[in-house]
Amino acid sequence: MGLWLTANSHAAAAANADHGKVVFQNCAACHSDKPGAIGPSLRGVVGRKSGSVEGFHYSGAMAHANLTWDEANLRDYIANPQAKVRGNRMPYGGLTNPGDLDDLIAYLKDYK
Amino acid sequence: MVTRLKDVDAVTVGFGWTGAILARELTKAGLNVVGLERGPDRVPGEDFILPSVRDEVKYGQRLELMMDNSIDTITFRNFPDEQALPIRRIGAFLPGEGTGGSGIHWGALLWRNLPSDFRIRSALTERYGKNAVPDDMTIADWPVSYDELEPFYDHFDKICGASGQAGNLRGKKIDGGNVFEGSRSEHYPNAPIKSSNAGLMYAAAAKSLGYHPFPAPVAIASEAFTNPEGVTLGACEYCGYCNRIACETNSKASANSTILPVLRLDPKFELRSRCFVTKLNYDKTAKRVVSVTYTDMRNGEEYEQPAGIVILSSFVFSNVQHLLLAGISEPYDHDSGKGVVGKNYAYQYEAGANAFFEDKELNPYWGSAGMGVVIDDFNGENFDHGGLGFFGGGYIAGNTAGAPPIAGRTVPGGTPEWGSEWKRATVKWYHHAMRFNTQGSVYANRNNYMDLDPTYKDVFGRPLIRLSYNPPDNEYKMSQFLLSKLEGVIKAMNPTSYDMHPRPKTFTVVPYQSTHNTGGTMMGTDPKGSVVNRYLQAWDAHNLFIQGASVFPQQHGYNPTGTLGALAYWSAQAITTKYLKNPGPLVQG
Repeated sequence: MGLWLTANSHAAAAANADHGKVVFQNCAACHSDKPGAIGPSLRGVVGRKSGSVEGFHYSGAMAHANLTWDEANLRDYIANPQAKVRGNRMPYGGLTNPGDLDDLIAYLKDYK
Repeated sequence: MVTRLKDVDAVTVGFGWTGAILARELTKAGLNVVGLERGPDRVPGEDFILPSVRDEVKYGQRLELMMDNSIDTITFRNFPDEQALPIRRIGAFLPGEGTGGSGIHWGALLWRNLPSDFRIRSALTERYGKNAVPDDMTIADWPVSYDELEPFYDHFDKICGASGQAGNLRGKKIDGGNVFEGSRSEHYPNAPIKSSNAGLMYAAAAKSLGYHPFPAPVAIASEAFTNPEGVTLGACEYCGYCNRIACETNSKASANSTILPVLRLDPKFELRSRCFVTKLNYDKTAKRVVSVTYTDMRNGEEYEQPAGIVILSSFVFSNVQHLLLAGISEPYDHDSGKGVVGKNYAYQYEAGANAFFEDKELNPYWGSAGMGVVIDDFNGENFDHGGLGFFGGGYIAGNTAGAPPIAGRTVPGGTPEWGSEWKRATVKWYHHAMRFNTQGSVYANRNNYMDLDPTYKDVFGRPLIRLSYNPPDNEYKMSQFLLSKLEGVIKAMNPTSYDMHPRPKTFTVVPYQSTHNTGGTMMGTDPKGSVVNRYLQAWDAHNLFIQGASVFPQQHGYNPTGTLGALAYWSAQAITTKYLKNPGPLVQG
C-alpha cells in the first residue's frame, strides 16, 4: 500500500521547478552568465535553436546539430548528451533520474 | 623610453592564487587594482575546454602552462662551492605562467600545517631539550599561530569548494578524518571525493597496522557547490587528466574558476596580461616601493606603473629576485649567515614507491588530481623523534590520481624503458599498478639559499636567481624513515611485487618531484631575522606586501597552497582593516 502510494504520487506530481533549481547547480558551474564561462548561458534555452548563443565557440557537432531545444530534444540531450549530439564537447555523462529531469526542464522554462 | 602611467591604488606583480585573492579583497575594499601578469590570460571558456584540454603531449610533456625558459629561468648548484648552471628546461619543479599561475596545473591537495608546525623551533626545544636543534638548522617559529590563521584556512576551503573528511572538528576527534590535524571550525564544504579500489586497499592495510588513514583533502568539488563569491563549481568527473592540465568542469579550483569570474566584472579591477614586471622602484628613504616597471611582451614597450600599494605575488624565485634587484632588505650572506633575502630556501622532499597486484583490477584510468588515501601518523611532531636522529616528517599517500596514456604507464623495476618488452609490460600491468608517495618536510638549513647569479642573465639583462640546494642529512634520514613506514604498509597489502624509490643523496633538477619551493622572503618577528612581518608586510617597505610560499620560514610535510591561500586572506584583511586607515608599518621592528 505504502509503495503503491509513493510510486503514484511521484508520477502524478507536477514537475517541481524549485527542485529543478537545485538540480541546475550541476549545470551552473559551466553554464553561468559570468565572464569566461565554459558553457553557453542557458537563459531562455527552451525554444531556442541549438548552437545559437552569440560569441560562444561550439563544437562542430553542436554547431551543425540543427535542433530546436523544445522539451523533447532537451530531455533526450540532457539524459544522454553523446547519444543525442554525437561528438559534442560537454563533459557531462547525463542526468538519468527522470524526476530530476522533469524538474530541471520545469526550471529551465522559467529561466530567462 | 619608459611611459609613465596614471597612479593606481594597488598593483599586483604576478597573478596566480595570491594575486587574485589580494586583487579581489582590495577591490572589495574600494581600491582600484591593476593585476600584472607576465604570461597570457587564461580563460576557462577558451582554454579549459574539451577536447583540447586533454592533450597530454601539449600540457603534460611540452608543459604549455609553465614558465617560458626562453625568457627566464634560474641557475642551480647543489653546494655553494660549485659553479651554478642555468636550467634550460624546467623539470623537478614547474612554476606556472599566465593568469592562475601554478594554481591551474596543480594537484589541488589542500592541506593545513599542524598547530605545532607554526612554533616548530619552540616545540622541538621544549620536547627534546634546548640544544636539540642543530646549529645549521635555521628553522624559526612562524609569527602567526594556527588559531589565528584558522578562519582564513576555512575561508580558503570554501572558496575552493574543498572536499575532505574533518578529523578534528572544534576539538572533537573524528574517526575517518585526520585525527592529527588542528581543530577546524567547520567541516570541509564538500564530502570527500571518491576512493578507488586501490585507495581502499591502502586504507585497510594502514588500518591493520594501527595507523589512521583518511581521504586526501583536495581543492576539488565532489559535488556542485557555490562558493562565497557566488561562483558555482562543478562536480568532479574523475577524468584522470588533471595533473599538469586545467580542469574542464570547473571542479578543480583555480583562481580562474573561483575568483576571476566575479573579479573580471568589477570596474575597479584591470588585468594586464603579458606584462612582465622587471623592476620594483624603491625609495629607501621613504621606505616605499613607488612604482613597478614592466615590459609589454607583445611589443617590447616599457611602462612605469605607480601604485599606492604593491602586492608582490609572483613565484618564489621571482619574489626573491625582485627584492635583491631593488635592494630591499639585506641579502643573505652564506659565509657570515647574516642577512635575510634568499635565506631558508626549502624544497619538498618527496620519495615514493610502486606496487603491482596481478589479481586485482584497479581501474587506474579514472581519478582526480590529488585523489588518494593518506596517513599523517609520521608528520611533524605527530610522533616522537627521540633517538631517531632527525626532525620533521611527512604524510604517506597511496595515490590513485588517474593514469593518463603517456605518464600513467607504471611498470615493475627492471623493465626496459622502450621497445617490445616495455610494451608488453605496460599492457600487463596498466590495470594492476599503484603508486605511493611520501611528502616530506624540509627544515631550513644555512647552506640552502638563493642569491643573484654573477654570470647568467635573463632576456632583459637581469641576473638570474641562483639556487644553492641539497637536502641536508636530516632530510635524507627523514625520508628513509618515511619510506620504511610506507614499505610496511605496502607489504601489508600483499602485492605481487613492489619497488621503493628513494631519492639520491644529491638533488637533481630532473625528473619532476614537486613544485613546492619555499622561503627566501621569510616572515618573522623582527627585521634582522626576516623580510616580512606577520601580515606579510615588508619591514623595509611598508606599502609592499609579499605573498606566497616565499614567506614560509621552512617547509613542513604538507603541500603549501592551503597555507599560502590562508596567509593571503590574512594579509588582505590586515591591509583593508588596518593599513588603509593608517598607512605605515603594522608591526614596529
